[in-house]
Amino acid sequence: MKRQVVGAALLVFCGSGGACGAGQTRLSLLSTEWEDDGGASIGRVWQRVGSASIPQSADVVVGIAGQADKIIGLPLGGGSQWAFAHRLDARPVVAGKVVVGSGSGEVFALDAHTGGLLWRLPADGGALLGAGDDGSMTAVTLRRAGGTGSVLLAVGHDGKTIQQIVTDKALGAPAVLGRMVFVPWAGQYVSVIDADSGDETARVTLRAETSHAWTAGGALWFGENTFIRFDEHISDASRGRASMVTLPVRELPGMPKVMPSGATPVPAQATADDKARMYARPVGAAAGAAIEDGRFYATYFRIAMGFDASAAGHESKQGGTSSGRPGRVPSSAEPGKLLWVHLHPADLLGGAAAAGGIVLCDEQGKVATLDANTGAVLTQVDLGEPLEACVVNVDAQSAAGGLAEVRPLAAQLADAVLADDPQLVVAQRMLLRELVALPDETATKALVDLASDPRTSPDLLADARTALANRRNGASYMVAALARHYDFLRDVLRAPPVGPIAQALGAMKERSAASLLAAHLLEPADTDDDTMRAAAALSVIAGPGEVPVLRQFFGMYRAIAADDDIAAAVVSVGQALLTVDDAGGRALVEAAAADATTVAYARERLQAMLSETKPSEVAGTNDAGEGGKKGK
Amino acid sequence: MPPPLSPVLRVVSFLLGLSLPSFFSPHGHGLSLDGAWGRSAFAQGRASQVPSAVPPPPAPPQVLPPQLQRAALPRDAIKRLKSGDPAQIRSALDDVRISAKAGAPAVPTIVELLARGMPADVTEAAIDTLGDTESEAASAELSWYARHRDVAIRRSAVQALARTRGGVAVNALRAGLSDVDPAVRGLSATGLGALKAKEAIGDLFVALDHKVGESSASIGLLCTLDECDRLAAKLGSQPFGVVTSGIDQALFRFSADVSDDIKLKLVGRVRELGTGEANRFLRGVQAKWPKRGSQRVKQAIDQAVLATSGSPGAGGQGEEGKAP
Repeated sequence: MKRQVVGAALLVFCGSGGACGAGQTRLSLLSTEWEDDGGASIGRVWQRVGSASIPQSADVVVGIAGQADKIIGLPLGGGSQWAFAHRLDARPVVAGKVVVGSGSGEVFALDAHTGGLLWRLPADGGALLGAGDDGSMTAVTLRRAGGTGSVLLAVGHDGKTIQQIVTDKALGAPAVLGRMVFVPWAGQYVSVIDADSGDETARVTLRAETSHAWTAGGALWFGENTFIRFDEHISDASRGRASMVTLPVRELPGMPKVMPSGATPVPAQATADDKARMYARPVGAAAGAAIEDGRFYATYFRIAMGFDASAAGHESKQGGTSSGRPGRVPSSAEPGKLLWVHLHPADLLGGAAAAGGIVLCDEQGKVATLDANTGAVLTQVDLGEPLEACVVNVDAQSAAGGLAEVRPLAAQLADAVLADDPQLVVAQRMLLRELVALPDETATKALVDLASDPRTSPDLLADARTALANRRNGASYMVAALARHYDFLRDVLRAPPVGPIAQALGAMKERSAASLLAAHLLEPADTDDDTMRAAAALSVIAGPGEVPVLRQFFGMYRAIAADDDIAAAVVSVGQALLTVDDAGGRALVEAAAADATTVAYARERLQAMLSETKPSEVAGTNDAGEGGKKGK
Repeated sequence: MPPPLSPVLRVVSFLLGLSLPSFFSPHGHGLSLDGAWGRSAFAQGRASQVPSAVPPPPAPPQVLPPQLQRAALPRDAIKRLKSGDPAQIRSALDDVRISAKAGAPAVPTIVELLARGMPADVTEAAIDTLGDTESEAASAELSWYARHRDVAIRRSAVQALARTRGGVAVNALRAGLSDVDPAVRGLSATGLGALKAKEAIGDLFVALDHKVGESSASIGLLCTLDECDRLAAKLGSQPFGVVTSGIDQALFRFSADVSDDIKLKLVGRVRELGTGEANRFLRGVQAKWPKRGSQRVKQAIDQAVLATSGSPGAGGQGEEGKAP
């Protein structure tokens, strides 16, 4: 087996304040010349520490306030809120029961429950990447000043440096188990470094992008957007047979990630990436790995969404068999199906999935726990001031609380798509498609409201109108909307979506809407397209009661149709008159078809229509067509 | 531009020494309209030129020349209207317009033409002609056209409705206050004042609050005690010129309609402003106050002019100040 010594500088030395174990230069450490050992070394590590108990980490919300110079902590399992003033140059992290931060040239650790300072060490300009903690020792990775290379620190809770490794490699966020530091790097490796000796005792190659190692639910996990469990199957990881679970692939607004790259410092202040995030919590399962509650979550600014993850891809060996074939756990659920939508008062900055739900914090400093199955708000607490960013860590805590009123999904979707917030449009378009897929009449009502609201963005309006035209229920809401007209004095400044409603009502043969539709024929504020589609629908559903308006419209526009839409409307109305106006509709249409002043577009089509329909054939046959462009 | 007139009409115009386009058109100073209507937005030409706020100073009512008042409807006018020939229809419409009220017998035929439909230019001419006949029988058809998609036709119809009168016309003009077109809203507001549509005063106040400035003058023409005071209370919250266009109308109404007490209150409201523009407005009222008008009100106006003459931008002393 060929091995090469890596020439790149790599230093292992003891910190000034602590006693090193066996720190010494190890050129093979983090070497890219390493060849996969088929899982042998990581298998030995599993044998050594696999049975070790992994302590639960703190359930805490950490808010970054002020000018990114104040940390506010709120223990979720009880305890007082605390604050710690310190300038930050990267987002703090929760590791075990400590909160680790960096800024002003130092890295520091706080007791997550009390906010008390545990230790602080010079960081030489390094920015925090990640941290792990096993209850007695904290491993911290820092991006070196200047942006190249990393530093791995192992520090006892007494503040003594156990190990410090400087490398030109891009390390990710580490975890600690049994005084072993599991540090991801290069996107595919997890090296296991003995904290006392500084030796790399094992390495595993993972077949999914990996920049994080962390503990949760009594297990050690690796990954970034895929969750890989450290268990008895880890030695098969390089062959793609580790216990892992991935979230279903589905459309989400803002292309959110489960975790940002662990190899790059996360800014202390929240960015758009923090507002568009996915959340899920992996758990150990008989199949190796699963997603807690079968739910994953996504946020987009003020919107939080819950999805079905029960069909998430579980890939593992089954019961330690050697078949080694990845298996997908069968599920009757729809992978990635939207289950609920929560419209929040303020932008969501951070969160964490928990058993039974998700804990989210917003830019106003409010922390809400949402139920996994319904999205209902279970609890709410307040950090007391606006936040620049927020970190939530939940391990032992389960989401619980008094379940508020649970609204149907259609109503939740309606709230979200009707929210007057331009930054939500991308999510609203996706949610509108979800809404359209629901058979509920509530969905129809929401579409009517959306298409009638003058604040609706043009993109969303087009989608809503298209969807509304294709609805085949909720006629009562459509009819009610038709009763509205543009009314300057009453501040009704957008006409209802007459065209789409007309198309839907025409297709539903909703004759009760005929008089209201006819009234819109003579509404100058309606668009030409709306007028054309109203006329087309009336050619299907008009009755004798509409004859006066039909005649008036026909006369007013047959010679003055400003465009083809209105000319098409004239033709549709002519069709309606032939059908319902026994007293003289045909004569009226014939006269118009013969009159040179009738606009050519309409005249030609009226002539064709007359030639195709003899008087005896017309009466009572107004079932033809389905509105819309029929007149054309 | 006013609708084109036929050669016949132009000859008649020449013989009578009239400027027909401004005289016959409903957009000109209305022959049969009262002074207030003559000063209204309609007097300013096409709807697009409708002022947003202040009407011009009152002009003396124009008197219809006797020759023209008696112009009879030609016997073949209705026959030409029914000819189906656009040229003959246009010439007949001109004749009906010359006949004004005497053209009323042609109204049913013109209404029928409009119901059947005609090209845009003939339609507009027909609508204008119906307005000239001042026949209430035209109001129903005109009210349909007041909702036409062509805004020019809609404006013409609203102007014509203000002359044909009747409940249908009032309802159509009230609806016109909510039109999508600002000019139609303004014309409707002015028309309601001209029609003395007191039932619409609530709508006119709403329209005024929605920046339909023409509503103010109409409110001034229609208001009673509380309503006039409500209008005056808009001073400060609405543009000065808009509100005073209504106060001006109220001040010059007969005492039987608007008592001197109300007028004194209105003058007091303007005086309280103590601004240069208040002074200029009061001086304008002072200058045109009728000799036989209420001396009590006149005295209040004179005092108000004096009281505001020192205001910045007042531009000099009032009449009374010069010659006490």
